[in-house]
Order: sequence, then C-alpha cells, then structure tokens
Amino acid sequence: MDVTWKLFATLGEAAGDTEVTVTVSDDATVAKALDSLFEKYPAVAEEARAENGSIYEHVRTLHEGEDVENPLDSDRGVAAGDELALFPPVSGG
Amino acid sequence: MAPSLDPEQLDRYSRQIVLESVGPDGQDRLLDSAVLVVGVGGLGSPVIQYLAAAGIGRLGLVDGDVVERSNLQRQIIHGIDDVGRPKVDSGAEFVADLNPNVTVETDETALSAENATELIEGYDVVVDATDNFPARFLVNDACTLTGTPFVHGAVYRFEGQVTTFDGTGPCYRCLFPSAPPEDAIPDCATAGVLGVVPGTIGTIQATETIKHLLEIGESLNGRVLHYDAKTMDVESVPLKARPECPICGDQPAVDSIQAITYEGDCAIPE
Repeated sequence: MDVTWKLFATLGEAAGDTEVTVTVSDDATVAKALDSLFEKYPAVAEEARAENGSIYEHVRTLHEGEDVENPLDSDRGVAAGDELALFPPVSGG
Repeated sequence: MAPSLDPEQLDRYSRQIVLESVGPDGQDRLLDSAVLVVGVGGLGSPVIQYLAAAGIGRLGLVDGDVVERSNLQRQIIHGIDDVGRPKVDSGAEFVADLNPNVTVETDETALSAENATELIEGYDVVVDATDNFPARFLVNDACTLTGTPFVHGAVYRFEGQVTTFDGTGPCYRCLFPSAPPEDAIPDCATAGVLGVVPGTIGTIQATETIKHLLEIGESLNGRVLHYDAKTMDVESVPLKARPECPICGDQPAVDSIQAITYEGDCAIPE
C-alpha cells in the first residue's frame, strides 16, 4: 500500500518535492514508513538523521496530523493513503 | 472604560471602529497597548507598518543592525537613504510619518540573555521578528518564563511558519526542543528568500497581535501555520504542550535565562 509524506523546507528540497509517495507493507508502522522514505530518498535521511542514526530533535514527525514521539521506534500502525510529515524549523526573517 | 477618542482619532481609525468586535472601546484598548517588535527587518517591517497604522499606543523596536542595500528587497520600511543608518532609527521615522499617535521606543542592540528580560518588561505582546535560532530561543525562554505572550514568525526561501504563544505553554521548545546544528537550516543570506514571503508571514504576525490585544477570534495558539508561496498551500500543524518541557512544563528545569547559553543548539542544561 502507499502512504504520503509531506516534507517541509530543507527536507522537501532534499527530496525534490514537497509531497512524495512511498510503498509500505500492509502491516506497516510509522517506523517502517520512515525506513521506506529514507531508503527511497537518501538525501532526506541525510537531512533528518543525526550521525547516530536517530531523527534530529529539531525535526518533528507527524502522522495524520498528530505528533509521533520517538518515530524510529514507533509501532503506531499506518493505513493506505495516510499522510505523514517531517517538519523542521526555519529561522529567517 | 469610557472611550476617550478625539475627533481626529475617530476619523483615522473609523474603518476598524465601525467593526462590531472592535468599536471605540477596542480602539481605546489598542491605543493603551504596548508591543515590542524584536527585529526590524523582513518580518518586522510589515509588523511595524500594520501595528503603527492600527494605533498601537506604544511600539518598542529592538535591532542592533544598520540598513544594508540588500535588505531593501524585503525590508520595506527602509529606503535607499537609510542605508548605513540603524534600523531602529529608520523604523521609528517610518512610524512617526505614518502615525504620530504612536509612541516609539528604540533599542539599538541585539537581544541577549543579559538584556532580554528587561527589554520585554512592560509590553503586552512581543513579536519575534528575528532572523536566527539563538534569538528565537531567547525570545521564547524570556517571554515564557515571564508569562508574556509572543507571536513567532520565520521564513525560508518560499516558505514561512507562524504561530502565537500565550506565554503559558505550549512554547517554542515544545515544538523544537533545541536548535539544529549550525548550517543545517541556512539563513536568508545563505539560502535566499523571496522578498514578499516575510511580508505575508509578518502580516499574519501583526494580525495575531491585534487579535490578541482585542481578544477576538481564534488565535494560532496550539497550531503552527505553514505557508508555501510556490504551491499556495497553507497547512496547520498541531502543537501540544510537552509536560516535560524544560521551560513551560510541569517542572521547569530552569527559572532564568541566565542559566542557558544561547549559541549552538541552545539546549537547556541538564
């Protein structure tokens, strides 16, 4: 099944699009949807992950409009067509 | 409170006084209000324009920079003759030209851990119109620790983020606990910015400030608006207070900004 990732600011630039679709297994979780995103778009992984492989504290992960804490360990299930998002801060003025 | 507007004020502000949810009492309230604008640049320009035009009684302007030619593409309260002048002086002059009802206080300085609490004291609302992460964490921490409402806005190339914090939480650290590594999220000088984008975001900040002062409508407290000028998509990202937040949480780790170093990741000491 497919899920959609919305990617903001630097992360959208890394993917080359602000909205991308990735294919995941039917029993997928937020963690697996992240793995699929990072596999398909290594440049996004580069921007979103620290050297130790964890998601940067400054990048927020959302699933269907809700915050997901510790997303790489999240067993929160995702369904076909769900919308996930990675949201970094910006600072310009 | 008995409206105290003179005939000139009744005329100047007539188009908003006629609004049922503003009225003469609302205008009186704006004229009695004080707003501090931190940053007199791309975001600060429209914020200052609209707050001055609306008749905010006292406007504080804080910025340590001088106007540069490369600012003029987006910092629309400054003109070519202002290049080399302190931004706060140019901004104060703009306000005086537009609306002599407004008292302007200027501080030609960068916000710092040493001066932040003193600078925001006595203002009803603070507008974060700064251009870097350390200043943004500083505004957050100083305002939240003193219970001062503030309106956050930030831009990147064709995108912007804007929200309102009521001073009690959630706060900016609930959204982003620490700053990104240096250069991870480039600033306007490095990444570039479409000049009108801070215009849009700053205008929303001014809107939120006026709504807060008048206590009308639904504020952005509890959600972050994301604006993409390329796609014209506006997304609302939810923002919940984190009980473990070191600034606004149940047991704050610090009670003073003096304990925090505003550089690098701006993290709260363990």
